[in-house]
Amino acid sequence: MSNPKKRKRDETEIPVEQVEAPVAEDQENANGELSIYIDRLQRLQAEFENYKKRTAREYSAVEERVEDRTILGFLGLYDNLERAFSSHAEDKDTESFVAGLEQIFGQFSQLLEQYGVERIPGVGEAFDPAVHEALLSVASDQQKNSILEEFLPGYRRGNRVLRASKVSVSRGPTPTEEADE
Amino acid sequence: MKEKIIGIDLGTTNSCVAVLEGGTPEIITNAEGERITPSVVGFTADGERLIGRLAKRQAITNPTNTVSSIKREMGTDHRTKISTDGKTTEYSPEEISAMILQKLKRDAEAHLGGTVTKAVITVPAYFNDSQRQATKDAGRIAGLEVARIINEPTAAALAYGLEKQHDQTILVFDLGGGTFDVSVLDIGDGVFDVLSTDGDTRLGGDDFDQRIVDWLVEEFRKDTGVDLTADPSAMQRLKDAAEAAKKELSSRMETTINLPYITADASGPKHLEKKLSRAKFEGMIDDLLQRTIQTVDGALREAKKTADGIDQVVLVGGSTRIPKVQELIASRIPGKINREINPDEVVAGGAAIQGGVLAGEVDEIVLLDVTPLTLSIETLGEVATPLIERNTTIPTEKTKTFTTAQDNQPAVQIHVVQGERKMASDNKSLGTFQLDGIPPAPRGIPQIDVTFNIDADGILHVTAQDKATSKSASITITESSRLDDDEIEKMRKDAEEHAEEDKQKYEQTEVRNQADQLIYAVEKAMSDLGEKVDAAKRSEVEDQIRRLKEKLEQGAGLEDLRQAVEELTKASQEIAQQAYQQTQADAGAATSSTGASTEAEPGTQDDDGGEYIDAEYDEPQD
Repeated sequence: MSNPKKRKRDETEIPVEQVEAPVAEDQENANGELSIYIDRLQRLQAEFENYKKRTAREYSAVEERVEDRTILGFLGLYDNLERAFSSHAEDKDTESFVAGLEQIFGQFSQLLEQYGVERIPGVGEAFDPAVHEALLSVASDQQKNSILEEFLPGYRRGNRVLRASKVSVSRGPTPTEEADE
Repeated sequence: MKEKIIGIDLGTTNSCVAVLEGGTPEIITNAEGERITPSVVGFTADGERLIGRLAKRQAITNPTNTVSSIKREMGTDHRTKISTDGKTTEYSPEEISAMILQKLKRDAEAHLGGTVTKAVITVPAYFNDSQRQATKDAGRIAGLEVARIINEPTAAALAYGLEKQHDQTILVFDLGGGTFDVSVLDIGDGVFDVLSTDGDTRLGGDDFDQRIVDWLVEEFRKDTGVDLTADPSAMQRLKDAAEAAKKELSSRMETTINLPYITADASGPKHLEKKLSRAKFEGMIDDLLQRTIQTVDGALREAKKTADGIDQVVLVGGSTRIPKVQELIASRIPGKINREINPDEVVAGGAAIQGGVLAGEVDEIVLLDVTPLTLSIETLGEVATPLIERNTTIPTEKTKTFTTAQDNQPAVQIHVVQGERKMASDNKSLGTFQLDGIPPAPRGIPQIDVTFNIDADGILHVTAQDKATSKSASITITESSRLDDDEIEKMRKDAEEHAEEDKQKYEQTEVRNQADQLIYAVEKAMSDLGEKVDAAKRSEVEDQIRRLKEKLEQGAGLEDLRQAVEELTKASQEIAQQAYQQTQADAGAATSSTGASTEAEPGTQDDDGGEYIDAEYDEPQD
């Protein structure tokens, strides 16, 4: 900043006072402008902060509504289960009770299907930690790393895993622990 | 755009990564959609490297080639031998840690949409130089320039912004999944001085889960004679259920652990159903919790501090959500606990803030304040109508349009109040001013814009402007954000305590305002319609208006008023309809009567989101 000023004076020999007055004015203008920009930046920043807060609020509101809609789908099943139990209380016929439950189970499966929920293939498949969780490693004559037993089925929705299936995995025919190696 | 410096909490059991966005830390979700990543690395037979959740899932099938809790080995010459494809490779703790860091880096890059090359990484306060150097090296191996290594308790304090306050001593209580640390820190002038640190490297949430599992196994054995420990699948279900029960007991007094078909014997399937109360759970883990408190005492002793000498307590780690943990800390150090920030994420958040500071992202300009309490103006019936909600970041500006409450009202009184209560008189009054010179007009017609503008220094400028004349008046309030913390806290508590009572008062006022507006609208409609309303109907409606007015004067109850309003609304609709038919019969003045009939509708009410709220009107003093 001071350099150009100096050069200017050297070249043109303008008296000091004449130069400094406009510089001070420039400085004042610049300061004024600067404070305007700082204020604008601060306001923009605050607006962004408030936008984030609002988005977070809206996001949780949307989440609630999605939950509501999902729960609504399950209430029908709840009703039917209630009906099954109250009818069983009057009529102890196991066969018709089981038939009723089967139908409700069918409805349940249909609902899951509507949501695009798919069961993850288990027994006999090759173990894949992306979709399976190993609870046990068992020596067997099955191929190493194949799934022997499914303790809890896993589910996926599209390419997202809702729950990995909990399985036991073949260690191959080795009788001892691999850890012995 | 400056390059972002991410903040990484590289934990023993779990890790977490965050970045500063717009001045506040955001936790980065990993590729699996989770906010924390297990600190586990697995090497599969075909040479693939798995990090995080996936590595954890395959740990049992691949125990020798899965590494967890590597943090415990940092700074030692421990080597992890991994054998895949008949080849054995040795890895240092730095290299294993680097693999975790690499995944966090990738996840951060996916989130930010660009390369990340710099990070702040946290370590426990007790880490020595070689452990810190090892952590730094791990970063370098992962392709991250470690901009700084900071202590976990320091990061937690940063997340709470404690360094911005006065000089103080804080205690950080960090109870994670498998480790427990207590640190006492002195903070002053941006310098964090660790006075003492103590802990237990094998104590955490997993131990609490195990206590519940043990209890369930024992109970089940008593009830059925069956030993569940022999059944790995049942044990896994117990473990999951125990963790879920533990979490539930942080918000509820009792939970039911329900595991149908947990096992079967010759007599058929067996179900497990057990109620667990919070008190019972607290009893189960009491000895563990007592140990944590002894550690707190030890850390205080070592720091040569008494409980009184601690200004703040910061909670870190998921297990600090357990109410008994908080209660025990509060019994030692009363009234100092900070727990607003998610304890699983607070360390990473603080690291991100440090990253922001180092990146030059945090300076004077971005450190913005928030309004601690809601700012409102008083409107008809003493209602506090908010313009700026609490926790709004400043500087900010909000404008709302108000109108008059009476015909030919020459002035409006603007009363600015602060607080969370619904009625203006229950809040703190900040100032009053008057806008006069409003040209004569029926009520509800003038439009007065009220603008609240808070600058970065917290100074509030309130302006009221009549849209018709552009005449305006204003006031500047300097103390709006100058309340001290205790005062703010008191006002918030006050609002919570009176929430129900305030709601009733507010509803009462609302229905009174509605009644008042309705009377006005119906009277106006009747005078506009003149003889188009037959005499019988007219006297019926007038009667109803009189009754409603009487009720308003007597201060009738909410239900009583609502009913009277409803009756009058119905009657007013009838006169509108009659007038409309009359007009059609007359087949002439259709335009004027439809105008009148819409005005007779009480639909001009606007409780939520409406722009027009009757401004409180006091007779001008002059």
